[in-house]
Amino acid sequence: MVDLGFKTLIHDKTRFTITVAGVAFAVTLVLAQVGLFFGLLDNSTISIRKSSADLWITSHNTANVDFPQQFSETYVERVRSVPGVARADNLILTYMSVSLPSGATENTVVYALKDFKTWNLPWSIKEGQVEDLRRGRFFMLDEGAANRFGSFKTGDFREVQETRLRIVGQTREAQSFTTNPISFMDYDLAQSMQSDYLNGRTSYVLVKLAPGADVESVRHEIQRRLPYNDVFTRDEWAKKSHDYWVVSTGLGMNSYLTVFLGCLVGVVVVAQTLYTSTMEHIKEFGTVKAIGGSNSDIYLILARQASIAAAAGFTIGLLFALGLVPLASKVHLKLIMPGPFIAMVAIGTLIMCLSASLLSFRKVANIDPSLVFRT
Amino acid sequence: MTILKGDSIFKSFQDGKIETQVLHGVSLDLARGEVVILEGPSGSGKTTLLQILGCIMSPTKGTIEINGRPVAASRSRELASIRKKNLGFVFQQFNLFPALTVLENVEYALNIKGIDGKEARRQAQGLVDAVELTNRANYLPRDLSGGQKQRVAIARAMAGKPPVILADEPTANLDTQVGAQILALFNDLAKRENRGLLIVTHDPKVRTIADRVIQIRDGFIHAA
Repeated sequence: MVDLGFKTLIHDKTRFTITVAGVAFAVTLVLAQVGLFFGLLDNSTISIRKSSADLWITSHNTANVDFPQQFSETYVERVRSVPGVARADNLILTYMSVSLPSGATENTVVYALKDFKTWNLPWSIKEGQVEDLRRGRFFMLDEGAANRFGSFKTGDFREVQETRLRIVGQTREAQSFTTNPISFMDYDLAQSMQSDYLNGRTSYVLVKLAPGADVESVRHEIQRRLPYNDVFTRDEWAKKSHDYWVVSTGLGMNSYLTVFLGCLVGVVVVAQTLYTSTMEHIKEFGTVKAIGGSNSDIYLILARQASIAAAAGFTIGLLFALGLVPLASKVHLKLIMPGPFIAMVAIGTLIMCLSASLLSFRKVANIDPSLVFRT
Repeated sequence: MTILKGDSIFKSFQDGKIETQVLHGVSLDLARGEVVILEGPSGSGKTTLLQILGCIMSPTKGTIEINGRPVAASRSRELASIRKKNLGFVFQQFNLFPALTVLENVEYALNIKGIDGKEARRQAQGLVDAVELTNRANYLPRDLSGGQKQRVAIARAMAGKPPVILADEPTANLDTQVGAQILALFNDLAKRENRGLLIVTHDPKVRTIADRVIQIRDGFIHAA
């Protein structure tokens, strides 16, 4: 069958380019904005997901991993005595100020443990040995900190909380939703550097279960022994931290708004160009009707044009968005576009374009074929 | 044998509170292989009559028969179905699809009439050959002269072998020489393929191919 829809669409190349560019812009906007949001959300839980802890014990009603409240570090002893617990350690998560060579001051999120290797923290090391952290006034800093702290290298010194510390290694992918660079240091060093604030308190207790231990029974027993704390599985804690940013801060709404605006731009551009195109070709649609074509034949032409605009616009938009991934990575931003999300955007683009063509559908449904006799 | 018959056709248009009567009980018939010319000045109602006979517009009153079957449908879908099966149109402005080549313009009309694939391509090629545009088959309408465009329009009207061809001022946009060629082509197709051909025109030269000339003035048939 002669593809009148396709041929008419590409016959006017300028209009076709504008239509496809509008769709591509909307697709890129949605993919990039939501992809960046996914990247930030990934940061918000990456330390939870990468750690090997089966259970996280937090103070009561802690909202998310980045905003802990401290509790007595001696509680860990109670946890260690619970049957089914193979290992339990204190984890401090605190904020410390870093004096930069420029004279400015920035904050770093400090993860402090006695034995990092046991808990798979940090999970990706670019330079240095994590065991070195116990050997002095040392810390490891994530490579992404270069954006905020300026360039640095292993072996450099930085003044952290007015204490001169040496950078003994660099990590990768250790980023926080708050965008504060993450650093790692020994537990006792952190306690000594913030003795007034921490004062023998910890932020979390990480728990590793013994092989074969029942998660629910262990959790129940810990909860019984620590009635003023909360106990989460790794997945629950990651979800709680994730949901805090999405639901409680309005950032989720902001993301949905971006998607909505992106779709709106796409719908308006496609609707406007398809409608204008339909009006310009109204006599041709009249001819289709005059020679025996039905409304369905014309609907098919418009649907085909909308689908082609959707497919071309989505492909170009996706390529643009994928091209942004390495660029974002260069500035230590994550642009995450999972397959199901891309598929959803593809379907959404098609629906968006078909919806946009409904405006034209309404117009052609009422075309009077007698218009072809008018000069 | 009568292939198209209009009997006592009335048509009026309402414009606000004003009703304008355009056709006053007009009757007309067309036989297979016959060329009938419908002549009249502007505003005489000839194009309105053509549209009613072509099932594009419904009459206010009166009956139409195509191939011996009454056209009672007033729904646009049923009228479209009748047009698809029985009628071919040639328009004054050609009304070709600018994005389609000569061959595709004809093939698309076949597609609309339910003929697809290789058969549609074969028939379209035959029709393009018949109107002597074989070497222009892959040209777009913008690259054709007025006469060539009208030949494409004729080939398209013939697509699907409709028994009736209706033409609205087919020579109006053509010079004398090309107009004569188009009329010869029309006449040849009507006689050779035994189609009924109704031509609406105010061009007296069209009379040269007419079997019958019908005059219409102010919505009345004056001479038949």
